[in-house]
Amino acid sequence: METKRPGGVLSNRPLHFIWILDVSGSMEGDKIQSLNYAIRNSIPAMKSVADENPNAEVLVRCITFGNEVKWHIRTAVNVADFEWKDIQAGGMTPMGKAMNLLADQLKIPPMTDRALPPVLVLITDGQPTDDFATAYQNLMQESWAKKAVRLGIAMGEDADTAVIEKFIGNKEIKPLVANNSEQLVNFIKWASTAVVQAASSPASQLKDEKVTGNVPIGTMPDVSDLNQDVVW
Amino acid sequence: MNQLLKEKQIIPIDGKDSCLVERFLGSGGQGEVYRVSIQGKPYALKWYFPKQATSEQKASLEYLIRIGAPNNKFLWPKFLLTNPKNNTFGYIMPLRLPQYKGINDLMRRRVEPTFKALAIAGVHLANSFSKLHANGLCYRDISFGNLFFDPITGDIQICDNDNITTNGDPLVTVLGTPRFTAPEIVRGEAHPSRDTDLFSLAVLLHYMLFVHHPLEGEQEAKIHAFDLPAMTKLYGKNPVYIYDPKNTTNRPVAGIHDNAIAFWKTYPTFIKQLFIRAFTVGLKPNGRIMEIEWRDSMARMYDSLIYCRCGAENFHDATEYETTGKTTVCWSCHKPTILPPRLKIGKNLIMINVDTLIFPFHVDPSISCEFSDPVAKVNQHPQNKSLWGFQNLSKDKWTVISNEGAITEVLPGKNVSLINGIKINFGKTEGVIIV
Repeated sequence: METKRPGGVLSNRPLHFIWILDVSGSMEGDKIQSLNYAIRNSIPAMKSVADENPNAEVLVRCITFGNEVKWHIRTAVNVADFEWKDIQAGGMTPMGKAMNLLADQLKIPPMTDRALPPVLVLITDGQPTDDFATAYQNLMQESWAKKAVRLGIAMGEDADTAVIEKFIGNKEIKPLVANNSEQLVNFIKWASTAVVQAASSPASQLKDEKVTGNVPIGTMPDVSDLNQDVVW
Repeated sequence: MNQLLKEKQIIPIDGKDSCLVERFLGSGGQGEVYRVSIQGKPYALKWYFPKQATSEQKASLEYLIRIGAPNNKFLWPKFLLTNPKNNTFGYIMPLRLPQYKGINDLMRRRVEPTFKALAIAGVHLANSFSKLHANGLCYRDISFGNLFFDPITGDIQICDNDNITTNGDPLVTVLGTPRFTAPEIVRGEAHPSRDTDLFSLAVLLHYMLFVHHPLEGEQEAKIHAFDLPAMTKLYGKNPVYIYDPKNTTNRPVAGIHDNAIAFWKTYPTFIKQLFIRAFTVGLKPNGRIMEIEWRDSMARMYDSLIYCRCGAENFHDATEYETTGKTTVCWSCHKPTILPPRLKIGKNLIMINVDTLIFPFHVDPSISCEFSDPVAKVNQHPQNKSLWGFQNLSKDKWTVISNEGAITEVLPGKNVSLINGIKINFGKTEGVIIV
């Protein structure tokens, strides 16, 4: 486009959004497919929220932990170009190793020293089968981990919500327990839209809204009006 | 998708008409917006989340519907729709037209308006908020998402008008959008009011003109994690304008805040002085710039536009010219611009470019700033191509006094040559041509 005025785009800061996903054996079957569906389903709304926030450059990555702990999306991808490739389940629940992998990437470098608070979303259906506590301590040594908005979604009642609470590390933010696929879709959409919005440029602040930690993430999703028919 | 309304859903209106939900348009903190049709005509419908569908919100909407829009720039609530089953409700408003683009698009440089269009948008914006405030109302949430503008004409549309209340209404629900909220709100000392609207308006105008926030300089560059405590400090506890002449601790940093640096060189002194006031003394409520001053300055900016030989729009800086005798250096080709003829009417100095139009507000101070129905345009003599003049497009005759004192009439449709010293009496005011 022809430039009619000087300057360029509004200066912005990166906003790192990282999915940390449990792909252990217990996730096999419907659960992993529901998770794949829910994330894929959330992408258009996530792109739209990111687009409305010129102050932020939303960059997405994904860690999976199961048979192995690895980056499912290793290179931070601009949300505008973000596509979801389905994940497969199998193996144990090495959540601790996932925390170590995450910690390595939250160091400066590779992180830049100027950014918006990262958003880290842990999704699990079980309990860690390795040393989560030490790995979590290690993670929280990193200043970007401390500054991050950390959220946790439990898939079903068997998930260890105490571990998720520890990961979140903020009493005001509760683990979101998804008991059916519709709730999962709703929670994932919330994490990838409302929370991204809050971290990049908090939306209109409502009176009496609780301020949660260093980023006001607003009201948690209300599940009371959702159907409860699809039970895992 | 978990949505409040379903596509093809029909919502009855007063038992007579019905509203057909066509498609989901977007969601916000309070509800969702849909494109709907009523009797085949398209409208927008905002439906509130159950928690936000309060009796106070409903009463507030009923009030807004009763009093009507301050002017046609507001996409104002027209009427309420309710769902008696769950006590939720929404309201119908005009649909935003597709040629109107968001400020977000301007920030991402996906739309590239001329300075002229931006000046016109600034005039409309200040004028519209002046009318809103004059009616005793307060907007409370001026931000990127609520203003749309036509990048070609500079016309505007103001959305999300459902949070507007009477100024001073204690039943506030929306505190505003970070980066736009006034420092006293950020510090938790005040609630949104007309005065805080004025601060948000200044921030929005700064974003539009500089593609940059007025308080983001060195202080912002030093922040690692840009979270709520950092924002509270920058926008609330220690706000410093990036070009505060007395406090140089927050200057824009090259490589990070390049837009601020580039645009600062482009605007005329009076615009820079106005923004300095807006973000120095205007950091306090009683120092805020009133809309009328913004409007008049945006109109003056419009009148100061000149074209460089390279084609780029620039601004004549009368203060600089009177002091140094130098013309503006073009921001694009970096060569000095050539000063065109000017029309001076009272205090106003209007640059006469080939496409300059003189509007009723230029020649009659009692008329509001509208960029329609011009009274004069620049015209080239049909035979003598080197001769330019003003063509009288109005219905009234002008009286022209030559340098020798000869008085002649310029009937509608006729032209008067642009000769230095010639005076044109437009009826209510008299202008003089300066070449």
